[in-house]
Amino acid sequence: MFNYSVRRLLTAVPTILILIVFAFYLMRLAPGGPFTSEKPLPPAVMENVLKRYGMDEPLHMQLFTYIKNIVCCFDFGPSFSQKDRSVNDIIAQGFPVTLTYGFWSAVFVLVLGIPLGIIAALRHNSFWDYLMTGLAIFSQIFPNFVLAPLMVLLFTLSWGLLPGGGWNGGQWQYIVMPAIALGTSYMAGVARLTRGSLLEVLNSPFIRTARAKGLPERTILIRHALKPALLPTLTYMGPVFVYMITGSVFIDVFFSTGGIGQDFIDGAYSRDYSVLLGLAIIYCVLTFSINLVLDLLYAWIDPKVRDSL
Amino acid sequence: MTSAKARLQSQAFVEDVAEEMLSSRSFWADARARFFKNRMALVSVFMLFLLVLFAIFGNVIAQWSYEEIDWNLLGMIKEEGGPSIANGHYFGVDELGRDMYARVVQGSRTSLLVGFVAGIASVLIGSTIGAFAGYFGGRFDSIVMGGYTIWLSVPYIIFFVVWQAFFGRSLGQMILVIVLVNWTAGLLIVRGQVMMLRNREFVDAARMLGLSDVAIIFRHIAPNILWVVVIYTSMVVPEVIMMESLVSFLGVGIQEPNTSWGALISEGASTMTFGTLWQLAFPAAFFVIAQVSLYYIGDGLRDALDPKDRL
Repeated sequence: MFNYSVRRLLTAVPTILILIVFAFYLMRLAPGGPFTSEKPLPPAVMENVLKRYGMDEPLHMQLFTYIKNIVCCFDFGPSFSQKDRSVNDIIAQGFPVTLTYGFWSAVFVLVLGIPLGIIAALRHNSFWDYLMTGLAIFSQIFPNFVLAPLMVLLFTLSWGLLPGGGWNGGQWQYIVMPAIALGTSYMAGVARLTRGSLLEVLNSPFIRTARAKGLPERTILIRHALKPALLPTLTYMGPVFVYMITGSVFIDVFFSTGGIGQDFIDGAYSRDYSVLLGLAIIYCVLTFSINLVLDLLYAWIDPKVRDSL
Repeated sequence: MTSAKARLQSQAFVEDVAEEMLSSRSFWADARARFFKNRMALVSVFMLFLLVLFAIFGNVIAQWSYEEIDWNLLGMIKEEGGPSIANGHYFGVDELGRDMYARVVQGSRTSLLVGFVAGIASVLIGSTIGAFAGYFGGRFDSIVMGGYTIWLSVPYIIFFVVWQAFFGRSLGQMILVIVLVNWTAGLLIVRGQVMMLRNREFVDAARMLGLSDVAIIFRHIAPNILWVVVIYTSMVVPEVIMMESLVSFLGVGIQEPNTSWGALISEGASTMTFGTLWQLAFPAAFFVIAQVSLYYIGDGLRDALDPKDRL
């Protein structure tokens, strides 16, 4: 188990390094830059600006300094477009916001998705089952960027129940809609997957044995069926978290929550190399670590996987 | 009940069954018959057909071009800019006084084109790589699988935004980057199928005839996995349309004045507080219709081609 974690970390580090190098060259080799504007700067000024940001050195030296600063002092450098902020400031300001509603969104996905899947499986072909199929289709058709405007239309503009955007220090009214808009389609996915695997488990011989022993249905479900049935759901949570992390870019832009997504898109517009690269690294590191945690969790739950590690 | 029994005993029924048993139908003919029995899927094919017609020929009845500003309406878009036959703006005008109808036609063109071209291209590339990995196995396979695992854990929007921000915003770039992001589409499932097929007798026979590996893969294995590829394509196309729309929504998609469903939805959503709901409703409706029909077509194809796998 320990060896496995170490091995996974050892593959994650070079992968992220390769991504940094790739993204770095991709950005720098593209035409234009953060200081190109309609009216070109005088050469002398340009030279000073470039020097100020260390951009007068050769590319590989810049890359080396950049990586060195991240590794030794967790310093992502200054922002090119926002004069008085460093990338660290931007991350420190936006990251907690993104994490907060991301967390509540994950809670929403699990707390609603898993029970819904279980009910649909237990009451196979009942109202609940059809409701779930409907939900699955609904979530496919209304992705978050269609769902969010619709929700604002209903809850803010028509009924005036919830604020249509902003953050306001993270009061709950401001978290509800971002969390639901971000999570709905994955909630449907979790429910569908839970339903499918629970149906399969309930038809397997060991459940028949448990029934034959005369165990009450409730005990069978809780003690025997649930754990193996939730394994596929757990594996599915990996990609779900990845999509939720990227989906948060959209949520930040639409709801103006002030998370890092907005800065990321602004950085893309203004060709702010350091913001763009710094946030891309944060997103990747987040994704990799969540995947690692989920894999370890998976191994902890499933003895077959645990023994093979 | 009795009528059903009578039907079972009738001569016509016996002849029907006999004919069905005698005529040997190919896998594809069988699948076609199953697909045509699925009413939802047929309606969806029809809807999608209408959408494609709309995207191609919609401009014929448009009275404005998609970048022309109707100066008469500027300043009173909320009052006068709604959908109306009289002034030729069937879907109203957008924030800048441009004809929504022409813009929705243009957006449908972009979204459908990107969806189908990029979707099909990604599946073809992904399945080809998957087929080679499954066929050759060994080191090539482990490299591909390593790349696949790593690629899956890279948040794609991030890559997409970085790429779009630095290299143009044209249609070609868009398709290219979607294919780059999506090269894993269908890889795993095709690889699995090929691994099952590569030890079969017909592959041995082909090898004994002296065919090269590439010829075996494309001429002998490919027809056997075509159904997987078809199913997968039907699932990837709506995903790609969604991906393109999401990126356009974020503002890093196709360059203005060209547009797409996502960009139109985004513009409509940003102005809905002013009460100009038609700017959101029409593009959203087209997007939803496309997604619904593609969903049911994919569902129908899956049922038709893979009847075992119905839950």
